[in-house]
Amino acid sequence: MSTPKHPISFKTYTGHYRRRYLLPVGFLLVSFLLMILPLDGFVSSVKAVMAYIFIPQVRVAHSAVQYAQGVSQTVQELLQAHQENESLKQEIQNARLSAIQAQEVFAENERLSALLKLQSQQPWKGVWAKVAYREPSQWNSIILDKGASQGIKERSAVIAVQDEQAALAGVVVEVNENTAKVLLVRDEEFSAAVRLEKDKGEGLLVGAGPRAVQVKYLPLLTQIETGERVYTSKSSSVFPAGILVGQVSRVHPSTAFQNSLTVEITPQVRSEAVQEVFVILGK
Amino acid sequence: MVNALKLIFLFVCATVFHWAFASFFARFGVSVNILLVFVTAFCALFKLPFAYSLAFVSGLFLDFFGTKLFGNNAFTFTVCACLICNIAPRFDFDEPFPQMVAVFALTWLAGILNTLLVFVFASASVWPGFFSLLGGSLIDGLCAPVVFWWVRRVLNYSSILKQV
Repeated sequence: MSTPKHPISFKTYTGHYRRRYLLPVGFLLVSFLLMILPLDGFVSSVKAVMAYIFIPQVRVAHSAVQYAQGVSQTVQELLQAHQENESLKQEIQNARLSAIQAQEVFAENERLSALLKLQSQQPWKGVWAKVAYREPSQWNSIILDKGASQGIKERSAVIAVQDEQAALAGVVVEVNENTAKVLLVRDEEFSAAVRLEKDKGEGLLVGAGPRAVQVKYLPLLTQIETGERVYTSKSSSVFPAGILVGQVSRVHPSTAFQNSLTVEITPQVRSEAVQEVFVILGK
Repeated sequence: MVNALKLIFLFVCATVFHWAFASFFARFGVSVNILLVFVTAFCALFKLPFAYSLAFVSGLFLDFFGTKLFGNNAFTFTVCACLICNIAPRFDFDEPFPQMVAVFALTWLAGILNTLLVFVFASASVWPGFFSLLGGSLIDGLCAPVVFWWVRRVLNYSSILKQV
């Protein structure tokens, strides 16, 4: 690197390099510091301040997306309205019949539960929310368009309907006034107590990012079949019991010295397909 | 003052478009990063202090939505900004093809660097997958000429733009 001979041009030269390298190096240092700091202390305060700046933008963006989606949806709906109307009328008739049947079943269930002194399961209460945002590099977390003002709290269970079945989608990990961040089942930090459908053996479901979701610590003598369904367990402190999680896709062969079984499961809810979710308020 | 307002307007638009594209393409499993396209345009067209500052703030915007680590996107975007600011004099960013190539390459760099940072500092994986990133980089590349044209149009003859 050669320095210019003239003193004035040397000043310009150094000023130019200072401007060229000082600012990016400063920014890199700041971002490095932010990365090494724990997420709950100073960083959490920075995030809270940033929420005031960024959330209005996000709201504008979300409204724009919703509006754009609404236009195409309205056109499609108009085209399908008549056809749907006919089939829905028929479905309503069927649903009425099913509701009458269901009422009798519920009444019978309550009578039997009272006889057996079982605690009846409370229906889930909660709010429906839409996925407002998905950070491109983090497929296993989503941000919902509802937050604390709609009653959502941290550690609320989140379910989604896919292939006409309601199943566990994730858990709320951060709540702002009008948004909530959800960790999906596949995430490495996700875990839940689950039970198998047939054997009732309980284990701990853990996400594994891009790899298969696993259920660990199942009792050694548990009879497990591929395709068996997995539900949330009563012993879970976060999730209500009986929510479908997925199906067993592979059973790890047991080896000597092993004191528990591990199975791989395919979650019912695919992370990339989550669009609308139901957040359960209170377990 | 007008320039500052234009910059804020551009940044807000960038985040709105990013949100819209990310939400839309996420359904098809494609990892689109329109904010990176805007950052590339800022760095190719703006003077250095504005380019670096906008790249850093854009990174922070993405970090705000992260759950595992904070600062990784700011770091990645600043590195990308350094690269673009340094290659800008040797690249003809007036033509669509160099714009597309630069954005395509940067999307891969940002994806890989971001994954590495999260892996090293948070021991977690945020790798979106090869085909997801490939699809995202192609869409980013296709959007690049439109974004460059629009940024230049908004800041036409502004003192923020680099002297040609």
